Amino acid sequence: MIKVESLEKIYPGRKGQAAVKAVDRISFEVQEGELLGFLGPNGAGKTTTVKMLCGLIRPNSGRIFINGIDLIQRRIAALQEVSAVLEGNRNIYWRLTAQENLEFFAAIRGLKPSGISSDIDYYLELFNLTEKRNVEARKLSRGMQQKLAIAVALISQSKVVLLDEPTLGLDVQASYEIRQLLKRIVKEQGRTVILTTHDMNVVQDTCQRVIIVNEGRIAANDSVDNLMDLFKVKVYRINVQGGLTAEQREALLGMEEAVIEEETSARTSISVRLEESQVLYRVIGILESGQSLIESIDQEQNNFERVFLQILEGGPQGA
Amino acid sequence: MNVCSCRSWKGVLKVRKKLLLLQAFFKKEFILFRRYFHNSIGGMITLYIIFLLMVGGFQGMRALTGLGGDTLEGLVVGYVLWLFMLTTYQDVWYTLRSEAQEGTLEQLYMSAHGFGWVIGAKVAAGFFTNLIMVAVLLAAALLTTGVTVNLDLLSLLPLVIGTLLGSAGIGFAIGGITLVLKRIDSYTQMVQFLLIALVAAPAGRVVWMRFLPCSYGSALINRVMVGGQNLTQIGLGNVAALFLVGLGHLLAGYAVYKACERKAMIQGTLGHY
Repeated sequence: MIKVESLEKIYPGRKGQAAVKAVDRISFEVQEGELLGFLGPNGAGKTTTVKMLCGLIRPNSGRIFINGIDLIQRRIAALQEVSAVLEGNRNIYWRLTAQENLEFFAAIRGLKPSGISSDIDYYLELFNLTEKRNVEARKLSRGMQQKLAIAVALISQSKVVLLDEPTLGLDVQASYEIRQLLKRIVKEQGRTVILTTHDMNVVQDTCQRVIIVNEGRIAANDSVDNLMDLFKVKVYRINVQGGLTAEQREALLGMEEAVIEEETSARTSISVRLEESQVLYRVIGILESGQSLIESIDQEQNNFERVFLQILEGGPQGA
Repeated sequence: MNVCSCRSWKGVLKVRKKLLLLQAFFKKEFILFRRYFHNSIGGMITLYIIFLLMVGGFQGMRALTGLGGDTLEGLVVGYVLWLFMLTTYQDVWYTLRSEAQEGTLEQLYMSAHGFGWVIGAKVAAGFFTNLIMVAVLLAAALLTTGVTVNLDLLSLLPLVIGTLLGSAGIGFAIGGITLVLKRIDSYTQMVQFLLIALVAAPAGRVVWMRFLPCSYGSALINRVMVGGQNLTQIGLGNVAALFLVGLGHLLAGYAVYKACERKAMIQGTLGHY
């Protein structure tokens, strides 16, 4: 559905500043019906890439194909297949109601409002906005505005939906609702969705595949599950009653794999990164030597945030 | 279905889509006008007060210098025409600025029509809202001053449209520059004074001034409204010249806009404000 070939963007330097290479010859493909996460730290080139996919930023070189149509050569034709939410809740007219926004944006995408009245009802219902259909967007909560902006993107019936930080600034409940809606849209409508986000919960919860960019280059391009497996490191947390002896502390501090997370007179917590089984036995041996009473040994869950940080730090090669 | 009928069907679809676009902007203009009616009325009262101040100043000058004659009619016509030009200019420039500010400009760029059509539809829809406002203010100005002007609508409509092409061109140029340079409101405000100068320019007498945006139109409209002429008396050649000059200014303004748009797309600042 989307094919990107050697895409490069260099922002010209302003007022004597040097030019900035925001995107450095990246290539990737996105299949129809896929929900792809596009991640990276601030300034990594995520938004620039998404805006190039929307035809809003002109690349220095490279090609973009949307459903086989060259976006740079045939911009308007290619953009028939794309809709986007780029500025969160700012992508809608605040002085129009929810329904008026949907009707207006459908019309500018060439759809007759009377022909899509059932679609409007469907999206208002889906996004839990039916009761707010006649309320001006400026009077809606931020979460509702964000949902309306996504509904506006979906009403155009485009095959590709690009979402830049769709859950930014939302509370836990609203963020969760949007995640569930995105999954539903991909599953039920077969749309291709690319979302950029800083929220790793969103990625872990919704995305089938992620592309991680850093300094304009792709640092990882794989399924969430594969990346989780690749970076799987078993971490155990050992809780001990009371504090440690000076010898125990010295021995543990000498081990790279062990970290004393917390130490009080009542309780000590040590995390152990298990790269080989001997490590755990050595730590237990140190604790036994001081006759410390082990309260519990728990395995910590690996999460995508840790995977993401490890990739940015240049973790396992080939990610 | 043969190739020819398939093509004509595609053409019909394209026209239908453009009409939908126009309809969407008409509806939006109407909704906002109705929803913020008091605000619209407030704006008109402000403009009326400006007119009263202009008339007061004009009459004061006439009393002091003994100059003036029947130029109060000219003042009314000039004021109303300036207002129409100003609102048309603002429909283009202010739309670009406010859409960028509100975050909706990028959505309009992704429309199925191309942005030129989108802004064209916005200007066309705005024309009718502006027409209502200008008609109300013209009536108020005539009642206040007691002067009469020739309101030959059939003659006036093409002349007004030809004149407004120039102010739309200025709007495109200034809008484009705003996309690149961003916060230049204090400079763009100056354009309203430039428009006064263009309305007042004696393009009827000084030939080279006919090539200025809106000036020749202003002179021709004066011939109808103050001089009592009609389109036949003005002559097809003059009307054609007005449209040629107007289209030239519109295209030149649009070219400036497209160059600025390209620069904003290279800089990645299209939707920023």
